[in-house]
Amino acid sequence: MSVTPSPFRLHRRLLLGAALATPALHAGRAQTQGEVIVRTPGGSYDDVMRRFVYDPFTAETGIRVTVVAATAAKLIAMFRANNVELDLIDTGDAQLLTLERLGALAPIAYDRWRWSKPEDITRQVRNPHRVGNFIYASVLAYNTETFRGDNHPKSWADFWDAGKFAGPRMLADMASGSANLEFALLADGVPRDQLYPLDVDRALRVMTRIRPQIRRFWDTGALAAQMLSDREVVLGSIWNGRLQTVIDSNAPLAYTWNEHMIQVQSLGIFKDARNVEGAQRLADFMLQPQIQAQYAKALVFGPTNERAFESYTPEEAARTPGGENSRRTGFYQDVAWWHENRDRVSRTWSRWLLR
Amino acid sequence: MPLGRLAGWLMLAPALALLFGVFLLPIGWFLAGSLTDFASFAEFWEEAQDVLFSGTILRVLLNTNGIGAAVTLLVLVIGYPVSYALSRAKGLVFTAILLCIVLPYFTSTIVRTYAWMVLLGRTGLINQILLGLGLIDAPLELMYNRTGVIIGMTYVLLPYMVLTLFAAMKAVDPRLLQAAEGMGASPATVFFRVFMPLTLHGVIAGVLITFILAIGFFVTPALMGGPDDIMIAMLIEREVELTQNWPAAAMMTIVLLVVTLLLYAVYSRFADREAPR
Amino acid sequence: MSGSVDLDAVTKRYGSETVVAGVSLVIPEGEFFTLLGPSGSGKTTTLSMLAGFVVPDEGRVLLGGQDMTRVPPRGRGLGMVFQNYAIFPHLNVAENVAFPLTVKGASKAEIKARVAEALAMVKLTGFETRYARQLSGGQQQRVALARAIVGHPKVVLMDEPLGALDKNLRYHMQVEIKEIQQRLGMTVIYVTHDQEEALTMSDRIAIMNHGRIAQMGPPREVYENPESSFVASFLGEANLVKVRRDGETVRGPGGAPLVAARGALSANEGLVFVRPEKVKVAAGTAELRPNHLPGQVLHASFLGNIMRYAVSAADGATFFCDVANGAGTEIHRAGDAVTLSWRAEDSRLLGS
Repeated sequence: MSVTPSPFRLHRRLLLGAALATPALHAGRAQTQGEVIVRTPGGSYDDVMRRFVYDPFTAETGIRVTVVAATAAKLIAMFRANNVELDLIDTGDAQLLTLERLGALAPIAYDRWRWSKPEDITRQVRNPHRVGNFIYASVLAYNTETFRGDNHPKSWADFWDAGKFAGPRMLADMASGSANLEFALLADGVPRDQLYPLDVDRALRVMTRIRPQIRRFWDTGALAAQMLSDREVVLGSIWNGRLQTVIDSNAPLAYTWNEHMIQVQSLGIFKDARNVEGAQRLADFMLQPQIQAQYAKALVFGPTNERAFESYTPEEAARTPGGENSRRTGFYQDVAWWHENRDRVSRTWSRWLLR
Repeated sequence: MPLGRLAGWLMLAPALALLFGVFLLPIGWFLAGSLTDFASFAEFWEEAQDVLFSGTILRVLLNTNGIGAAVTLLVLVIGYPVSYALSRAKGLVFTAILLCIVLPYFTSTIVRTYAWMVLLGRTGLINQILLGLGLIDAPLELMYNRTGVIIGMTYVLLPYMVLTLFAAMKAVDPRLLQAAEGMGASPATVFFRVFMPLTLHGVIAGVLITFILAIGFFVTPALMGGPDDIMIAMLIEREVELTQNWPAAAMMTIVLLVVTLLLYAVYSRFADREAPR
Repeated sequence: MSGSVDLDAVTKRYGSETVVAGVSLVIPEGEFFTLLGPSGSGKTTTLSMLAGFVVPDEGRVLLGGQDMTRVPPRGRGLGMVFQNYAIFPHLNVAENVAFPLTVKGASKAEIKARVAEALAMVKLTGFETRYARQLSGGQQQRVALARAIVGHPKVVLMDEPLGALDKNLRYHMQVEIKEIQQRLGMTVIYVTHDQEEALTMSDRIAIMNHGRIAQMGPPREVYENPESSFVASFLGEANLVKVRRDGETVRGPGGAPLVAARGALSANEGLVFVRPEKVKVAAGTAELRPNHLPGQVLHASFLGNIMRYAVSAADGATFFCDVANGAGTEIHRAGDAVTLSWRAEDSRLLGS
């Protein structure tokens, strides 16, 4: 499984050139009401969605679903060039927020939903122009051969304690979407509900303390998973979906739910899309409880439709981001804060890295 | 003669049109679009100073040039003997060497880089062998640092150097070498006083093309580097993708473009000049 | 070490092909010796074995009486002029000429003096800082020559050194090379496929064919007295006409009796050799005398200082006759009946 809430960064980079170079990739295609083009993270995510969402949707409505890859920059380029080539965007909430602020998105037609009930969607992820379609989390993972039994890090304060828990570590780089400043502040004793607005300078001072132990700041989910499974590092932050794949392939890894960061993947619709109506219907279809429960379970992500939990066993619910357990021990990442501050933080981060 | 020139331009036309359409036009659009975002010159100037004269970009340029220079030197030191062997080899040996050099190009950069990860990682093949032989006590840090970047880039760039040098070496008239030998020169003297000087323009061309390619590298340093092995292309990508600060990206792109074009001007002087006759 | 050069039955094979087959040469010091032959005759390979670029499969190479068969080129102390001149493009004229001294580690002062001397000898003083690409073909040739003699070698090898020059320049260079050779008293082994050049310059010529020496001797001897039809026709123009034995008499076209001062027929049939310039052409019908043949002019070509006639004799034989265009010389026209004649001393019988 290669699902990442943020798309596969490598592909994004390679596609950037293509984005700038081929502004009219689909321009010649006859657009009919019979097709919805969706931007997805790609990989096995597409397989799962095809099986539980797209094919049933086509069977129900006769509308075909085509998936394409597109980076954040490509999406912006499309909008700016007034040449929107796709209808529905399935991507990180932060990226959608950027598009929303640019005025690129159509309002979500909650009032015309047929399959899902807007009031069932978790309040935090239900926005006028974007609606969350799953929840994932950044968790603290560790190697169970290095840290045996109960002797493993249980909090970010433990992570920062290189004396007690020795070994090479990793944290997320800004290039992954955002750096793990929240975890640094947690380690420094800031309560979960008082993280935002982030004190960037304080977070970086805390980061400086652990930096000698950091082997690498990861920028892609693939790299994070590989570093853990290859024992390049013995503990680190990682997206839970990525981690689960590695654990399922019998790697000696485990994670703690304590102090994890809840992040959201969302749907948005280009207001100039050729098939806005089809995209609205697909979003509606995707978010109904039974459908969402199926793909969310398959991907080990959390549903955004509260009623999806009805089909969860207690064990399944316990390991689901955004579930009850998750909400008790984790916190929601504030994408609005990151949106406002990403530019500044990114430069500060680069300066700090190169210091 | 004018007819011949016209025919030349006509034959070039499709390539030029393609370059214009898929390279110049988009890059022009990107740069123009990004740099006209500013409300006033003062605003532009403020941003430019922030982007171009901050410690960050200077450090990154230093990184980029340092890595580029180290990789170029290594590629030259490895590439020269390989090219020499290739230029002397015939038949099956020639094909074998050439395949070894070119074959990796049939796989993607990403796949090749992942192969390096398998070799160079903490639990990778090289460390396992060295540990197994008892040559080291703790795994060597061969990746996620400068060493990893240089190893990976050297590997990727070697063919450019080898093929450039090969062309220069093939152009050396073997009769000159024989003549030198006949005039009393030892094999070493023939090599250093005749062969090397005669391939010098190839060395310069190879060094420049390698360096030009190296300073624009992205994938290898991004995958194999450590926290502070940031090269300029990575910084540009970050501004484009992450912060969507396209004006900043555009300014850095211009810096990289200018440096590259300057080097290219030097390169074309050496590459266009025929081997001395 | 003296400047004598000996090849003792050297043989070189490439695969199944024998390129040089048992060639032996004894060349005394100071001789201008030419290897002449068509391309593929083995002359360049023979030179390469002398130079040391090629090691013979059999036989020995001696320089100044010392066995050098397996000594690499740099140990042989020879001067060399190469077919393509082999001027180093990255070095200027002075550096090129200095090369043999530089690699030997000569002192700067010595190099400077020797280079000046050698350049003066080839009349290139003042060209020291030029590069090959700034020189004409003739000037490049002089650089190559200067470089070959700068170290005062006893023996200089030259491989078709004038091959790329036009005719006029070639003649000048022939004279200059010969002059320098005599002034320095060097042994020169010279390879060419140009017979005129070989005749002009050489003390002795070895004519090679199929990896063997067909004939060796002073130019005049080889020219006047070829021992085979190959040598006769390769070196200069030759009339080679079929003859047969009739008891004690040798008869040519139309049964005319022929007498030759040299050579003999090994079988009942053979050839008679006579150079075109040795054949006299007279108007009128022949008397029945030895070496007198009746004929008819086919062509008369005016070549300036000579008239060249093609004359048909009996039995379809054709003779070429060169007659000096001297004062009062009789001119014949196509269709004229003429008598051809030559002296017994100027002809030779060849086995075949």
